[in-house]
Amino acid sequence: MRLLHLSLTNFRNFTRLALELPPRGVLLIGANAQGKTNFLEAVYLLATFSSFQTHVERQLIHFLEARKSPAVGRLIGEYQRRDGTHRLELRLILEATAGDGMRLRKEALLDGVKRPLSQIVGHFNAVLFAPHMTQIIEGGPEERRRFLNLTLAQAIPGYATVLSEYVHILEQRNALLKQLAAQAGHVAQLDVWDQELTARGAQLMYWRIQALQEMERLAARVHLELTRGAEVLRLMYRPAYEPLPLPVAQISLPLSTPLDRSHLKVEEIREGFLERLRAMRREELTRGVTLIGPHRDEVRFLANGIDLGDYGSRGQVRTALLSLKLAEMEWMRLRNGEWPVLLLDEVLSELDSQRREDLLARVSTCEQVILTATDASAFPAPFLLQSTLWEVKMGQIYPKNHLAEEKEPG
Amino acid sequence: MLPRPLQNLITALERLPGIGPKTASRLAFYLLREENDLAEALAQALQELKAGIGFCSECFYLTEAGKRLCAICEDERREAGLICVVEEPLDVIAIERSGAYRGRYHVLHGALSPIEGIGPEDLKIAPLLERVRRGGVREVIIATNPNLEGDATALYLSQQLRPLGVHLTRLARGLPMGSDLEYADPNTLMRALAGRQEIESG
Ligand SMILES: Nc1ncnc2c1ncn2[C@@H]1O[C@H](COP(=O)(O)OP(=O)(O)OP(=O)(O)O)[C@@H](O)[C@H]1O
Ligand SMILES: [Mg+2]
Ligand SMILES: [Zn+2]
Repeated sequence: MRLLHLSLTNFRNFTRLALELPPRGVLLIGANAQGKTNFLEAVYLLATFSSFQTHVERQLIHFLEARKSPAVGRLIGEYQRRDGTHRLELRLILEATAGDGMRLRKEALLDGVKRPLSQIVGHFNAVLFAPHMTQIIEGGPEERRRFLNLTLAQAIPGYATVLSEYVHILEQRNALLKQLAAQAGHVAQLDVWDQELTARGAQLMYWRIQALQEMERLAARVHLELTRGAEVLRLMYRPAYEPLPLPVAQISLPLSTPLDRSHLKVEEIREGFLERLRAMRREELTRGVTLIGPHRDEVRFLANGIDLGDYGSRGQVRTALLSLKLAEMEWMRLRNGEWPVLLLDEVLSELDSQRREDLLARVSTCEQVILTATDASAFPAPFLLQSTLWEVKMGQIYPKNHLAEEKEPG
Repeated sequence: MLPRPLQNLITALERLPGIGPKTASRLAFYLLREENDLAEALAQALQELKAGIGFCSECFYLTEAGKRLCAICEDERREAGLICVVEEPLDVIAIERSGAYRGRYHVLHGALSPIEGIGPEDLKIAPLLERVRRGGVREVIIATNPNLEGDATALYLSQQLRPLGVHLTRLARGLPMGSDLEYADPNTLMRALAGRQEIESG
């Protein structure tokens, strides 16, 4: 997959940008605060409809535009897939809400037709790698669920829709539990929301089981190579509702013991999940909240049986992240039948020269990679020769001619 | 400080669904300035709405005030043994427009939604169960909206109705998920009605 053309209007510090993108490597060079990361954010937004930089989505719109009401930011990507070229337009609309607040609404048009976001997420694919993403390994469990959701939604048709339904049902169910906790009422209603919740929840767990198993295989292989055979990397899925029969799961096994859940069918997971919810009903009614389900799932990263989130050294965590990101990229290719566009934000400066070479060697196999750096000196000459260099300056992008100034000594 | 009558109007408008304080003030000032008797016409229409319209005591569809039954429940040619359950009166109009249905209706006046504080006792569910218990009902078609709240409501109804031994069906999914019945075009609705399905026992 390859991005052919990108145009941005009032997105971050890009008031107006329109540009053709070449295949292979594109290197964005620029001083701090010029818009390099914002550019990658725009491309990633077209793949996931979700920002990796902020939870305050109104910040995505240029701040001068954002003073208007309504304010509109616009991203248009044209890209080449095996089935032809497509045009995806994402509109960010900042508007007043009933409660006098502001809300950012997103609208997406695929090839000119407006569609629900969850139906077209992942039509364009991208994998993003930025240094702060070590949070996936070291941060809270919500970081790992976010990683899973953004990756799986891009490669499993239906994932985004089922996830958004699950979240909506969860809100309804929690509201009901709260009401029932405060005053007794129709408990029969809860049966209905249990059915709805477990149908989607089991489906999500099933997908997570399969995807993590596939990704683990890929990540372990990469990691073994990157560490020159020193470390075995594992991705341990720890679902909040354990679908394996209780005796197996209950005995407190050491964390590193692999549990194989890949034989489980959606219907089996669902039945067990429903049964557990019924068993926990009394507790949930007193707490007024849904205690188990994919919204509380966890994934741990282990190197030679040691939990990297708790005990990993900085270098170990960085390498594990690199393995994970390369695995994510390969997994998407396996699932979708083509490479995602790879986005690397300031990654090279954080790696030692050996890892740099490992990374560049692997990414040059994919169709298109967009990298950022404050200067080109970290990149080996052969890589620079194959790549297009651009300079990012105050929300504008200029062709950069060329290695001379960067590479000439003195 | 706004004059009392203006403030009263704004406060009342704000209680309408989908209208916030800003829109409410804009509408109120518009009505204040407007010179073609719109305010008077609106006031009269609102009064007649409440005085002139009631709900059918059988199916809870709209009737003229003072009448016990709606035109559909009164129509002897409509099949009394077939009840189509919908969320809103507008859904009745949508299905009638398709011309494909000869049975009667039952209007719930909403769907289950704990977030909005809507439970079974806020919907016309008890009268529906009562109608079925009285006998003579052969089939109940559940035609709630094809969204999560509509699905939950359908499931709840099926749990309540199944013990009564009535034949239960659900509108087929010719309808786009996440849409409202009232916006569906007649053709789609006709196909959905023709292809209605059994509800699996939950
Ligand atoms: N909504 C917005 N409107 C206008 N400008 C914005 C908006 N959001 C961020 N910016 C500006 O964008 C710039 C940051 O851009 P970006 O994060 O892409 O920088 P960068 O080139 O990646 O820099 P660094 O090398 O420091 O990472 C800042 O100057 C910031 O003020
Ligand atoms: Mg940056
Ligand atoms: Zn009636």
